[in-house]
Amino acid sequence: MKNGLLALSAFLLASTAAYAADPGVSDTEIKIGDVNIMTGPASFIGRAVSVGSKIAAAEINEAGGVNGRKITIVTEDDGYVPARSFQALTKLIEVDEIFALNGTSGTANVLAMMPLIEENNLPTVVTTAPNELVYNPVRPSVFTVGASYSDAFYAQLKYIHENSEPANAVYGLIRQDDDFGGAVEAGYDRAVKEFGVKDGLRIRFKKGTANFAAEVAQMKQAGVNVLANGGIIAGAANILGEARKLSMDLQVASVWSEDMPPSVNLSAPAGYDYLVADYVALSGPAIDAFLEKAKKYASDEEIGAINRYTYVTYVGLKALAEAMGQCGQDLTRACTVEKLRGLKDFDTQGISAPLSFDNPEQLSGTAVAVYQLNAAEKTFKALTDFADY
Amino acid sequence: MRTGHFKERTAQLVALSDSKVVWSFAGLLLALVLAAPFLIGNYQVTLLVSAMIAIVGAVGLNMLTGTTGLISLGQAGFLAVGAYTNAILMMDHGWPVWLSMPAAGVVSALVSLLVGVPSLRLKGLYLAITTLAFAFIINHVILYAEWLTHGPNGIFVSGAKVMGVDLQRGKALYYLTFGITVLVVFAALNIQRSRVGRAWMAIRDHDIAARVMGVDLLRYKLYAFMVSSFIVGIAGALISLQIRFVNIDVFALILSIEALAIIILGGLGSIAGAILGAIFLSLLPEAIRLFFDVFADTNSSFYTTYVYEIRGITYGIVIIAFLRLKPEGLIGLWRDVRKYWSNWPLAY
Repeated sequence: MKNGLLALSAFLLASTAAYAADPGVSDTEIKIGDVNIMTGPASFIGRAVSVGSKIAAAEINEAGGVNGRKITIVTEDDGYVPARSFQALTKLIEVDEIFALNGTSGTANVLAMMPLIEENNLPTVVTTAPNELVYNPVRPSVFTVGASYSDAFYAQLKYIHENSEPANAVYGLIRQDDDFGGAVEAGYDRAVKEFGVKDGLRIRFKKGTANFAAEVAQMKQAGVNVLANGGIIAGAANILGEARKLSMDLQVASVWSEDMPPSVNLSAPAGYDYLVADYVALSGPAIDAFLEKAKKYASDEEIGAINRYTYVTYVGLKALAEAMGQCGQDLTRACTVEKLRGLKDFDTQGISAPLSFDNPEQLSGTAVAVYQLNAAEKTFKALTDFADY
Repeated sequence: MRTGHFKERTAQLVALSDSKVVWSFAGLLLALVLAAPFLIGNYQVTLLVSAMIAIVGAVGLNMLTGTTGLISLGQAGFLAVGAYTNAILMMDHGWPVWLSMPAAGVVSALVSLLVGVPSLRLKGLYLAITTLAFAFIINHVILYAEWLTHGPNGIFVSGAKVMGVDLQRGKALYYLTFGITVLVVFAALNIQRSRVGRAWMAIRDHDIAARVMGVDLLRYKLYAFMVSSFIVGIAGALISLQIRFVNIDVFALILSIEALAIIILGGLGSIAGAILGAIFLSLLPEAIRLFFDVFADTNSSFYTTYVYEIRGITYGIVIIAFLRLKPEGLIGLWRDVRKYWSNWPLAY
């Protein structure tokens, strides 16, 4: 009788534990979701993100997983359309029953997913959209890897101001007419005010603009020789191409998307050795070691898709795994969120500055390093170490 | 005795259907759709909500393009107007959803006058380009009127409750969308067989002949713009309730193209066609995903690398093949099946 009661109690305890467990966790597996841009013109970002998750998961699994549980990545494509991001996350939550989210697409896409993330208390590491709108107001289960665009531009302009010291410096800004452009302008604004330099011209352009002839001609007329280039990928390249046509002598600060190989291939022909500030390393031993590791876990094609977004997502998943690991066997979303919130100086082996989410915004990787492109060789050299601005 | 589908009286001609079988099937279908949330999972419910919103939008566009023959590429703009109106009224002015939703339709209809009036003498490609320009203008207005629209930051939409029921979740959102879809479809069917609807069709078939018959072209074209935009505005409001976030990126130009694809694929001018087209194109990506998931294990590395592109290409191929082989759309296919069923074993 006594044994029967004990067995019944044990069974009830076990079943309570089973019911208490959150979706996406079994004895052997943890499902992590990834909503990304796998199709369309920006798909090279999504593919890079996907490779980062894959390498991190493979490495973690090979080392025994998270307390014995293997990580499985479930990727959904949103084609960079916010409505599809919402749909994709609904599918990941309802059908695939993911435990947490790592890859998170663009800013508007993350925002479209936010009600679902909050509703499910889904531990989420935002790896591709470090926009203020994502972390302000702070959502309890959302943790962002990345610096602000504002800091990135400020860091570059500071470097130019202190080191290049162009004669008769006239600063100019060209930026998109959206939230991202606003963040770029905030960094520019801070720099020109703090350094007391001449603010020659600020131009807004419509997202998707391809022809910048008039804008760059205006820049030339205003005598701009330090340019904060807020264009992205083809847009940034077109701006530099127009500047080259007008033989403008320019020091250029760029968005971190301009350190990706596809962007470099577009922009390098203009011949400007532009700067980029990034919160992940672009060269050096950490990246060499990562690429060596990638050969073990990824196909040649996937290795070809690697860019900065791969590094960001890799460190994002490692941080998430660290938090899940700290929860031990009783893995729940609430515990993971708690541990992520307490994460401090998590070592990324030099791929970025150490990650800490123990700040009011739950934003980590705020430190950026400034790099310079060698346009002839299409390589980047580090000009500064990671530093907070 | 019934002889094919010949009509003998005007009343038969304008009746929604003279067949008891059709009404029985429609009743059965309605009952099934009503019961669906209890039979399927939440994700499938979300898909059905998206499909129903697409139906509302497609029926709206169909009034303008299919019934009246005025090609519009401004659908994304009107959807945005509806969504933003609903979001602004709910979140910034505290309107209840049962007031903000119709207001979204009204504002969208009023805004349509801005594009309708200058476009009254245009048709075909000229009108298409004008409406496209309208979508661009709306885009700019939303971005720059930050005091009203919050600019690029977008607006989170929450708190759509009626008598304590949260209308933005699961079954409640499903039934709200379903109710609106049924209303819109019946309204559209009735408008089509009214004096206004017949005038629209006359304008579509031959506008000069319609004018000779006494149809006031300008007035009826404006009616078409307003009715269509009202319905599309309601669809926009529904999108804002479903996604719970509106931002200019949600209403990309591709939406206008997709809307046009829906009504062409479904069958221009037919409400049933718009419904079929909306369901088909909304659920096609999911069907393709399920199809490829079956083969995911056979050649996993190939699918890991290319599956998303393959899905996209398949989506395009299905649309091209359909339009090439069945240009009158899904409704044409349905009519063929019905004819075959009625006439069998004879061919005609």
